[in-house]
Amino acid sequence: MTRGTLIYIGQRLLLITLTALIVSSVVFIGVHQLPGNAFLTERRTNAAAQAALLHHYGLDLPWPVQYVNWLTGVLHGDLGESLVNRGVRITPLVLREAATSATLGFWAMVFTVTLGMSLGIVAAVKQNTLLDYVASFCAVIGYSMPSFVTATFLVLLTVTGFYAWTGGTIYENIGWGKPEQIPVPAISLGLLPSAIIFRLTRASMLEVIRQDYVRTAWAKGLRSRIVVIRHALRNALIPVVTILGPITTSVITGSIVIEYIFGIPGLGKEFINSIANRDYNIVIGVFTFYAILVGLANLLVDLVYPMIDPRIRY
Amino acid sequence: MATAPSTFEPGPDSFVATDTYEVGERMSAWEDTWRRLRRNKLALVGMAIIVILVITAIVSSFWTPYDVWRQSLGPTYQGPTGKHPFGLDDSGRDILSRLMGGAQVSMVVGVGTATLSSIIGIMLGLLAGFYRGWVDTLVSLLINVFYGLPDLLIVLLIVAVTQQRGLGNIILAISLTAWLGMARLVRGQTLSLREREFVEAARSVGTRDRWILVRHIFPNALGPIIVQATFVIPAAILFEAFLSYLGFGVKPPTPSWGAMASDGFRSLQYAPHIILIPAAALCITLMAFNFMGDGLRDALDPRMRR
Repeated sequence: MTRGTLIYIGQRLLLITLTALIVSSVVFIGVHQLPGNAFLTERRTNAAAQAALLHHYGLDLPWPVQYVNWLTGVLHGDLGESLVNRGVRITPLVLREAATSATLGFWAMVFTVTLGMSLGIVAAVKQNTLLDYVASFCAVIGYSMPSFVTATFLVLLTVTGFYAWTGGTIYENIGWGKPEQIPVPAISLGLLPSAIIFRLTRASMLEVIRQDYVRTAWAKGLRSRIVVIRHALRNALIPVVTILGPITTSVITGSIVIEYIFGIPGLGKEFINSIANRDYNIVIGVFTFYAILVGLANLLVDLVYPMIDPRIRY
Repeated sequence: MATAPSTFEPGPDSFVATDTYEVGERMSAWEDTWRRLRRNKLALVGMAIIVILVITAIVSSFWTPYDVWRQSLGPTYQGPTGKHPFGLDDSGRDILSRLMGGAQVSMVVGVGTATLSSIIGIMLGLLAGFYRGWVDTLVSLLINVFYGLPDLLIVLLIVAVTQQRGLGNIILAISLTAWLGMARLVRGQTLSLREREFVEAARSVGTRDRWILVRHIFPNALGPIIVQATFVIPAAILFEAFLSYLGFGVKPPTPSWGAMASDGFRSLQYAPHIILIPAAALCITLMAFNFMGDGLRDALDPRMRR
C-alpha cells in the first residue's frame, strides 16, 4: 500500500459517498414530490388515523426536514421503517436479503468466471478447431440470451426432464434455502456474462499467445501447461479483469429478474415488491444500498489491477 | 448523409505512372464501410432479420391475422395449428398476432431510445469535450455518479414513480440511463479531435465554434457514435422486455414480448410454446442487432481488430 494507493482509495470512497448522497436525495425528493402518500390508496382510514400515521412516519414535516432526518438515520445505520408493514425496521431486512442475494450472486460469479475463462483459454489455445467453433457459436447465442430465457430453458430441462426422470426424488427447483436450489438460478444469472468473459478471454489470449516471449517459452521446451498458465494467461487476464466491474453490475441487475422468477427472498425481489406496494421507504433504502454496493465492488476490482499488472499504479 | 472527412478518400497514388494507372471510382467512406460490411456474413444475416422485423412492425400497426387483444379464439393453451401457426395463449389469444404487435413495441422502444439517448449524449458530450470548464465538470460528474449504477434499477424506479406506462415514458426512462455511455464516448472523441490539425485549420480561418462542432468534429466521431447507437437498440429492447416481464411495461392488452414470456412461464410445463415463441423472437432480435453492431464496428474501424 503506497501513499498514492491510499489517496486513490480515499478519492474513490468520496465519490461513492457522493453518489449515494446524490442518488438518495434525487430518489427521496422525487418520491416525496408525488401527489398523495403511501396510505391514501392502500387502506381506508379516517382523517385522524391518517394524520396519526403521517405523524408516526414524520411525513407531516416539510420534505427538507424529512430528508435531513432520514440522512441522520442513515448515518446511524438506520434506513427507517417500512410504510406497509408497520414496525418492520428496514436495515436488518435489507441486510438479511442482501445475504441471500450475495449467495446467489457469488455462485453466479463463480460459474461465470470459471466457465467463461476456461472455455476462452481452451478455445484460444485450440484456435480454429471444432471445439473453438462450437464454443464461439454458443457464446454468440449466449450473448443475446436474456436471463429469463435462460431460466426458462433450464427450468424446462430440470422440471420436465430431470425431475420427471428421477420421479421427483432428487430435484426441486423453485424456491430457496436448500443447496440444490442454487445451481439453476445461479446458472441462469451467470450464462450471459460468461459469454462476454469467454469472448474477451479468447480474444486477449489469442493476442498474447502470438507474442515473442510466449514463443520463447515454447522454444525453451517448457510444458504447455506452464506456458499457457504462467506466461500467456497472466497478461491475457488484464482486459478480463477490467470487465469484472461491469459484470458485477450486470449480475446485480440480472438478479432482480432471477429472484422474481424463482421466488428467491433477496434484495431484488424486495425492490420489485416494494415498488409494487409503494413502500417508498424500502425502495429508497434498497436503492441507496445498491449504489454503495456497486461502488464498493467497482473499487475492489480497480484495486485488483495493480496486482496482476505492475505497470498500473495509483 | 453527412459528408465524409476528406482524409478517408483514397486519392490517385502518385507513385504509379499515370498512363498505366486507372483512377478508380471515387469511393466515399460510406461506400468503403458498406463494402467491408458486405463481406461480413453474420452482419448481413443480422441486417436481413432487422429488415424483416421492421416490416413486421409496420404491417402489424394496420394488420394482424387476428386482433391482438381478442380472447377465446379457440381452446386456451392450444398448441400450433394450421389456423394459429404459433398456437393460442392462456386467454385464447392468437400468439402470432401478438408476436407481431410485440415486434412493434420492441422496435419503437429500441429505435426511440437509441434516437433520444443519442441526441442527449451527443450534445452534452460535444459541449463537454469542446468547451471543457464547468460544462465538462458537470457532465463528467453526472457520468461518474450514474455510470456504474445498475440501469435496470433506475429505469424501474422512474417507471414506477411516474406511474405512466406509455411507450413514451418507457423510452424516456431508458434514455435517461442510456445517454451516459454515448456522452462518455462523444466527450472522449471530442477531447482528442479538438486538438487535431484540421480543427486548428478551421479555427485559424475564423470558423465559428458551432460550425466546427457540426462540420468538423461531429462527422469525424460519427463512426463510433453509430456503433454505440446500434448497441443501444438491443439493450433498450432487453430493458423493455425485463420491464414488461416484471409487470412494469406497457399496459395490457398491448402485446409485449416480455409480458408474453411472463404469462407463459406459469404454464411452462404443459404449454411451453407460450413462453418459447416470444423468448425465441427476443433472442433472435437481440442477436440480429448484436451481429449488426459487431459488423459495423469492424467495418467502420478496420484498424481495430477485436
